[in-house]
Amino acid sequence: MNRAAATTGLDIVVEPARVEASLWRRLRFESELLCREQLFNRYRDLARAIARRQARSRPDRGVEIGDFEQFAYEGLLQAIDRYDPLRGAPFAAFARRRIAGSIADGAARMNEIDAQYGYRRRVEQERVRSLGAGESDGNALDQLSAMAAGLAIGLMLEGTGLIGGADRTDHRPNAYDSLAWRELQSILVRAVGDLPEREAVIIRQHYENGLSFTRIAQLIGVTKGRVSQLHRAAVERLRARIAADG
Amino acid sequence: MDEDGKMTMCGDEEMEQLVNAMQTGAGDELALMERLLAAYPDDARLHFLKGSVLAAAGRPIEAHAALARAVELAPDFAIARFQLGFFELTSGEPARALATWEPLDGLPDGHYLHHFVTGLRHLIHDRFPAAIAALRAGIAANTENPPLNRDMQLLIDRSAEVSGEDGGQVAETSATSFFLDQFGARGTTH
Repeated sequence: MNRAAATTGLDIVVEPARVEASLWRRLRFESELLCREQLFNRYRDLARAIARRQARSRPDRGVEIGDFEQFAYEGLLQAIDRYDPLRGAPFAAFARRRIAGSIADGAARMNEIDAQYGYRRRVEQERVRSLGAGESDGNALDQLSAMAAGLAIGLMLEGTGLIGGADRTDHRPNAYDSLAWRELQSILVRAVGDLPEREAVIIRQHYENGLSFTRIAQLIGVTKGRVSQLHRAAVERLRARIAADG
Repeated sequence: MDEDGKMTMCGDEEMEQLVNAMQTGAGDELALMERLLAAYPDDARLHFLKGSVLAAAGRPIEAHAALARAVELAPDFAIARFQLGFFELTSGEPARALATWEPLDGLPDGHYLHHFVTGLRHLIHDRFPAAIAALRAGIAANTENPPLNRDMQLLIDRSAEVSGEDGGQVAETSATSFFLDQFGARGTTH
């Protein structure tokens, strides 16, 4: 019970080591699958730091940092599934080797075309496919505008700290736009908070943490196609909410 | 269970031997505990003590299992139930702690565990003055388990820091053997 800056009653009483042990216990022995995402979130920065370090130490073959991060996340997820919390070794030490190994394997696996095509473009294509995958009701222009609105929502969500809510850089474009931007942001924040749990996980992990659909599929235990469907459903829900509140 | 279908409980002498081994901390207490548990697998007190030892040894997953088993075997074992809930609270599971404690509402109004649970409920909801008052009432009523008083006083002090309230007396440093002393050498289950 050591508190640096407790502000709530719960802060006063929780013990960090027990909190983590509780996540492992509930994931392994009580089948609480949401604990997997919480453990992933706890160690995501570790995976990211290893990815950055490895990216710096390798010659540039066109592999983007985003690719390194995806390999690192893959290693982290494998580590979460293989770790035995009863054996006493700290998870970070166990995970570090798996993450580094996963990055090395992944980078070796990538061929030049993959590398040239680039992580960023693949992610964008995933989104376009997801958003454009609905039934073709209405005319082509309507569909295009719906897709454009979906992609715009993605741009707003992405990397703005919108979802995490921590102190991040202010991405508001300028003084004039900032009011409208802020209003829209607050609508989006509320709307993401109101999404069904699985859709919210997908939005958070994809836009805030940069996880590809493949990694999210591994994280929540569904197929990549299902993630794509849920992503589309979530973005549509957000769009409807903006239309109603905005 | 014996042939009549009754639970076979660990005798006083063996229990005392175990508690002594735990207090001296010679390192053989877990082995002795496992021996006694093999002989008396249904004795809730043994599971409770095992939970204490494992918690102190930094094995929280197994500690929780042992405490939960103690409460499962003896639902009226009030101190074990309180400690299981407290363990869950310190593990960041307040909803579960509240559910674990619920049967303790059946304790008499003035019972110290009743006050402690009331205080911790207030604490979970950030109602610091009410938490401090209830925890103080629990400390005043508790003559059985002095180490528990020290830990509750620590929570009072921290609540006072956070809320700017007066925490009252300053307690000595928390006992490391959180579960052990309060259990008492005779190991009654209330």
